[in-house]
Parts: sequence; structure tokens; C-alpha cells
Amino acid sequence: MSAHHAIPLKTLLSTTLALVVLTVVTIAVFYLNIPAPFDVVVALFLATFKATLVAMFFMGLYYDEKFNTVVLIFSFLFFFVFIGITLLDTLFRESSISIW
Amino acid sequence: MATASNGNTLKVRYFDIDENPKEHYLNAEKGLKSWLFTVDHKRIGIMYLASIVLFFAVGGLLALVLRTELLTPAENLMNAETYNRVFTVHGAVMVFLFIIPSIPAALGNFLLPIMLGAKDVAFPRLNLASFWIYSIGALFTLVSLAVNPIDTGWTFYTPYSVQTGSAVILMTFGVFIMGFSSILTGMNFIVTIHKLRAPGLTWGRLPLFCWAMYATSVIQVLATPVLAITLALLIMERTLGIGIFDPALGGDPVLYQHFFWFYSHPAVYIMIVPAFGVISELIATFSRKTIFGYWAIAMSSLAIAFIGSLVWGHHMFVSGQSELSTVVFSFLTFFVGIPTGIKIFNWLATMHKGSIDMKTPMLYAVIFLFLFTIGGVTGIMLGAISVNVHLHDTYYVVAHFHYVMMGGTVMAFLGGLHFWWPKMFGKMYSEFWGKISAAIIFVGFNLTFLPQFIMGSQGMPRRYYSYIDQFQTMHQLSTIGSYVLGVGFLIIAVYLVHSLIWGKKAPANPWGSRSLDWMTSSPPAHHNFNYTPVINNGPYDYHKPISEFTLGIAEDHEHGESVEKAKEETKA
Amino acid sequence: MAHATGTVESHVQHHFKSSDQQFSSAKLGMWLFLFTEIMFFGGLFVAYIVYRAWNPELFTLAATQLDTVLGAVNTVVLIGSSLTVALAIRAAQFDKQKQIINYLLITIFLATVFLVIKYFEYTHKFDMGILPGAMYTFEGIDHPKANVFFSIYYMMTGLHGIHVVIGIGLMVWLVLKAMKGAYTSSYYTPVEITGLYWHLVDIIWIFLFPLMYLID
Repeated sequence: MSAHHAIPLKTLLSTTLALVVLTVVTIAVFYLNIPAPFDVVVALFLATFKATLVAMFFMGLYYDEKFNTVVLIFSFLFFFVFIGITLLDTLFRESSISIW
Repeated sequence: MATASNGNTLKVRYFDIDENPKEHYLNAEKGLKSWLFTVDHKRIGIMYLASIVLFFAVGGLLALVLRTELLTPAENLMNAETYNRVFTVHGAVMVFLFIIPSIPAALGNFLLPIMLGAKDVAFPRLNLASFWIYSIGALFTLVSLAVNPIDTGWTFYTPYSVQTGSAVILMTFGVFIMGFSSILTGMNFIVTIHKLRAPGLTWGRLPLFCWAMYATSVIQVLATPVLAITLALLIMERTLGIGIFDPALGGDPVLYQHFFWFYSHPAVYIMIVPAFGVISELIATFSRKTIFGYWAIAMSSLAIAFIGSLVWGHHMFVSGQSELSTVVFSFLTFFVGIPTGIKIFNWLATMHKGSIDMKTPMLYAVIFLFLFTIGGVTGIMLGAISVNVHLHDTYYVVAHFHYVMMGGTVMAFLGGLHFWWPKMFGKMYSEFWGKISAAIIFVGFNLTFLPQFIMGSQGMPRRYYSYIDQFQTMHQLSTIGSYVLGVGFLIIAVYLVHSLIWGKKAPANPWGSRSLDWMTSSPPAHHNFNYTPVINNGPYDYHKPISEFTLGIAEDHEHGESVEKAKEETKA
Repeated sequence: MAHATGTVESHVQHHFKSSDQQFSSAKLGMWLFLFTEIMFFGGLFVAYIVYRAWNPELFTLAATQLDTVLGAVNTVVLIGSSLTVALAIRAAQFDKQKQIINYLLITIFLATVFLVIKYFEYTHKFDMGILPGAMYTFEGIDHPKANVFFSIYYMMTGLHGIHVVIGIGLMVWLVLKAMKGAYTSSYYTPVEITGLYWHLVDIIWIFLFPLMYLID
């Protein structure tokens, strides 16, 4: 019955605490006025960390079949493919043929 | 004795296949309701089959109307505006209503659980919901045709799709809904392949059709939601004017093309990868040979799914996207040729020194190899930037994708339909008429689309109801070819319907296949197999004589009785 | 309804061999569905990133119109609701029928709080003329594409809001079923699946909050 793992109460509560603390940190970092683009990098790093906590402990991926984690990772991978290749266009529209 | 994955020991016995069973899935339940609200994957597959055949007929008739208009440069049947609507509807119906659900939803639904030795797909009710969602989506598109047929082309490019007076919202909302049907089918198939394989059916024993369906389902699940959000934003653009895609409000129409093709290029592989799966089955069966390069074919499907989602921008070489991305997309596009080439060579190697039996399905497989290779190679040519700029939006492109979609997917679909027809309905069709119509279709197809390659390379643009006089001979050849094609399809319709009523009863395994779908009766029992089969052989073990080719029994489906008892029943 | 009939419990559908197989199939199916949800929202995130890369100054200007405090409160509210839905699943795993219902009701309450706060945010903006799309009339942001930022804002938070509403609907349905004692330690798949969905709604907000409200 490995799929039916009950997540310990302590884990759930400490995950919640960590998420709230990280939210406070995210806001604190905002008021520190870190120069761009590092403000976005820090904010996204914190958000990703929070999302990972939710996925591992609230959604139980830590205890679950590993293939479910693979599915989640692939979804982010394909999102990055989408945005990454689109940016190759939108960020470089201004370039002329001379750069080649 | 065989050991299942959960460690339980299963007793393996052999049983004979029930030839011409009195009870099967077609007569297990009666009445219209037993079809419309069935959760049986076989019946859902048949309902899909009926729907897509209907829409293929609609799209095909529209194509004949288009070709008739093009007999002369003059305005024969319709004006430019009507022509725009007709080619848009032809494209949208063929893409969204016919070809995307064609092999996966119709043949896939019917075959996948049988090939896995399962009783049904993982979520049967979701499967039914998926059919109904498809029907509702189709209804929306039909209503849009009644209201004000769309004239944007099947790609719904902004800003024209925001400005036109035709029923864009109804049409795109219909496609949006059908997208969910596609997503649910994909999810269902992936879970089914992962969780419901019969004991002994390892990943390495999966029929290649299942691998192809797996790759297709992955694309359906990853790309279709992007189509959904694209169309949702397009609808918002028309209703609210959100300005994300509309340049008049500060938006970027090229971004729309990125969104659209992020789905629609992988969607091309939703259309063709299942066809590869069908062809693998046909070629192995009718060459009487173990498939050459099993893992190469299986993995190349997944490689196509992955690489195919990196190349969408090759539809946008002249859209004004950056040169950098143009170069990258062109470079990546060539890579798709590798896994596709791997498949072609493996199929040829399978046929090499095989004892080829040229039955109708195999004839279609050979036609597929011929036509699809032309379609694929011209695709590689179009992936080269300099050639593409010359040929962009000409008949060359039209001919290319018809060689892939019709010469590839439709031929494989016809091959698959003829191959599994006896399994589906328990009746044999006329082999003579099968071959005749395959030949007519082959001739008609090439007559229709070869001239289009030539016209396109000479500069005939697509999507015009008129043309300069120099193209008239080519256009007329093409139109005559389309009539020949129409006759071919008509003959198929006649003899298939004829076979349903007057056809000879089909044996369980008329082709001598080694695959699991032929190890059950024709038509299959209500739950596919009367016993949970234990798979001892690979699907392409043609080196073993068929008399040795047997299945084990793990469990009696109907009564939950012991294995020993089941064995006695089969002996008796 | 986990009354045993014969050797197989009745919640196991006929095509599954065991309850475990059915449970893990349902879970895999849900994860694949979440995959599609990520790609669905992914499209909007792509639009966001593209426009932010084009107009970084616009995003800095426009984000000043969003209320950081309300955004932060909503973040904490959703985190809390994620905890309670996880606790509801835990209650089901330990056969505590009453607790399942209570935790689900708290989750529904928190989700409603989220929507009420969102409602006040929206109406406040509507009053200022920050309306979605072509109806945009606000003149406080000196940028020609200010309307596009708010279109993206409304699309992203709106789609997220729709998901919250759907989540509430699902949980109301779960409560009604739970009142009839439908969920026990041997069968609680719908609770588990809805939980997964709800956590994803939380995750998306975790990304939306810094990307929308915290730009400088």
C-alpha cells in the first residue's frame, strides 16, 4: 500500500510554516530593492522553492511513485521549451541580417 | 508457471480461440442507448469511426467543390469570398474533426486495450465523456457553418481573425472543446499503457502500435492545452479586445503564430505517428517476419514527439520572426528527418527477404511508404530557409502536406481499417475490390497532387479561386485526379457496407498475425478476452509456428472462478 | 461505499485487478491532467514573459496599481487552504469521517475568502477605469501599452480565479458525498485527486504573486 502513504502531521505543519516564512522573505526581498534582473531571479527562485515544497509534501511526491515526479518535471521542461524558443524570436527581432 | 509483476505466481494454461462466437461486444447489449451511453472502449471506438467517416465525407466533398471551381480560371461555382470559406472549412473539418481523432480515437480506442490484454481503458467513463465532448465541439463547428462560415483559413491568424465578420468565436470555441476530448483520450491511453498491461506483457513486448499511441498521447497531453489557451485568448481578443495578439491595440500577431504552432506543429505528429504504428503492424504481419529494429521504431516515435515540439517556427519563416530563431528552427527541423528515416529503413529491412503477402492492407502500407517518403522529403526541403522563402504559401506546400497527411495518415488509416475490419465486425470484405480501389486511389492521389508540386514550384500561390492561364492544364489534371480519388473512396464505402451485410464470416486470425489483438475472437467478446491472458510471446514472433503460439490464462473474467476450473471449461 | 461484496470491494471497477491498481491509475491520470494545466497556464506565462522582456518599464509602472498587502494575504490564505485539504486527506486515511467534512469546509471557507479579496481588488480597479481589454480608460500610467499589462493581469488572475471556483465546486461535492460516508481509508480517491488539483491552484498563485505584485 505504498501509494496510500499518510503524510505525517508534523511534516504537513512544518511545510505550512516554511511556506508562510518564505512568503514573508519574498516580500522582504522586494522591499530590499535588489537591482534588476536579480530581483526577478531571487523572486522566482523563492517561488520555485515554495512550489517544490508543495509538490513534495502536500502533494506527496516525496512518498509517491517516481513516475509522477517525472510527469511534473516534464511539464516544466516543455514549458521552458515553449518560452525559451519563443524568446529566441521576440528578444532578437531587431537584429538585422548583418549579424550573420 | 509465470510470475507477474506483483510477485504472485500465476498458473499458465493454454486455450483455443473461440471461432465465430455467438455472443460478442456487438450483440452483448441492444438498442441505441446501449451505444450512446456505453463505456465499452470497442463501441466508443466504433462511434468515433462512424463520426470521422462522416466528417471525412464532408471535408472530401468540399475538396471536390474546390477542385471543380479550379477547373478554369474563371468564376465557375463561387466567388472569391465563398472560396475562402470553403477552403477554410475543408481544412478545419479535415484537421480537427477527421484526422486528429482518426487513428487514435477510432482505431486506438478499439485496439489499445485488446493489445494490452486489458478489459477496457483505465477510465471508461472518461472515455465516453471524451466522445461526447468531441460531439459537442463538432456541433459548435457545424452551427458556425450554418451561421456564417469562417473565412480565415484553418489557422485563425490574427489580426484578420479579429476583424472578419464570420463566426470565428463559434468555430474556435468548437475546436477549444474538441481539444479537451483529445487531452482526455491522451491521458486515458497513457495511464492504460502504464497500468493495465496483462501479466507478462513487458514494455519490450508491447506492439509497436501501442508505442506509437503512447508517443501520440504524450503530444496530445503536452501540446493541446496550449491550443486551448491560444483559442481562449483569441476569443477574448474578439470579445474584449485584450490587445495581446491584435496589433491595433498594441499586441503582436507573430506571438499568436508562436502560440498556434506550438500546438499545431506537434499536432502534425498527432496525425502521423499513429499512422506509423499502424504501418509497423501491417508490414510485420504481411511480411511474416519479426519486425526489424523493434526498439529503434519504438523509441523513434518518442523522439519524434520530443523533437517535433521544438520546430514549430518553420511555419513562420516569412512572418517577421527574428533571423536568429529562423535559423534555429530550420536547423532543428532537419532533426525530425532522422527518427522518421529510421522508421522507413526499419520497415524496408523488415520487408527484405520476408514472404510478403500482398493483401489489401499491405497494399496500402506499400502505398504509404511510397507517398509518405515523397511527403517527408519535400518537408525537409521546405525546412531549408532559402527554399522555403521561395515556396512559402504556394501549391508546393499544399502538395507536401497532402502527401504527408493524406498519402501518409489516410493511407495508413485505410490500411488499418481493412486490416482490423474483420476483427471489428467479424466480416470479410471483397479482396478483389479492395485491391482495385487501392489502385484507383493511388493513381487518383498522384494525379491530384503531383501537378500541385509542379505548379507550386512555378509560383502558383495557395488559397486563390483563380489563376493565370499557364497553370490551367495542371489544375485540370489535378481536378480530374480528385474525381478519381472520389470514385476510389466511393467503391470502398460500397464494398465495406456490402461486407457488413453479405460478407463472409471472418475467422479469429485471418492474417496469421502473432499480435495479441488477433488472439481473441472476431468480433471480440464483451470484455475482450474471456480470461485474463498471460503473454508468453512477443507480438512479432514470426519465427514460431502459429500452432505453438498460445496464451496463458491468469483468471476467469466472467465468474471469478479458479484457474483450474477455467481450464476444464476450455477443454470441454 | 466500501461494503465488501464477495472477495472484491465494490468500489473497484471491473477492469482493475485491485484497489491499489485503481488508486495509482487515478493518481497518474490526475498528474497528467495537472501537466495539461501547467501547459494551459504556461501559455499565459509565456505572454507575460514576452511582454515583460519587451516593456520592463511598463511592468514596474503598472505593478504599483496592485495592492501588495492584499496579494500577500491571499498567498497566505491559499497556503492555509492547501494545509487543510491535506489534512482532509489525512483524516480520510484514518477513517475520521467528521474531520474530513470539517477540513473540507474550512478549505471552502478559505477559498471563498480568497475570492472575496479578489473581488474587492477587481472592483477597486474597475472603479479607476482599469478595465480589461478595449474598455481600459485609466490614465494614471504613462505608457502606450498599459492596457496590455492589465489584459495579461486579468487573464492570468481570472483564469486562476475560475480554477478556484471550480475547486470550491468540487469540494462542495466532496462534502456532500462525505456526509453519506462515502470516503474511508480503503477508498478516498476523489478526495486525494481534488487535493492534488487544489495544490496546483496554490502553486500557480505562488508564482503569480511575485510576478504580478512584486515588481520594482
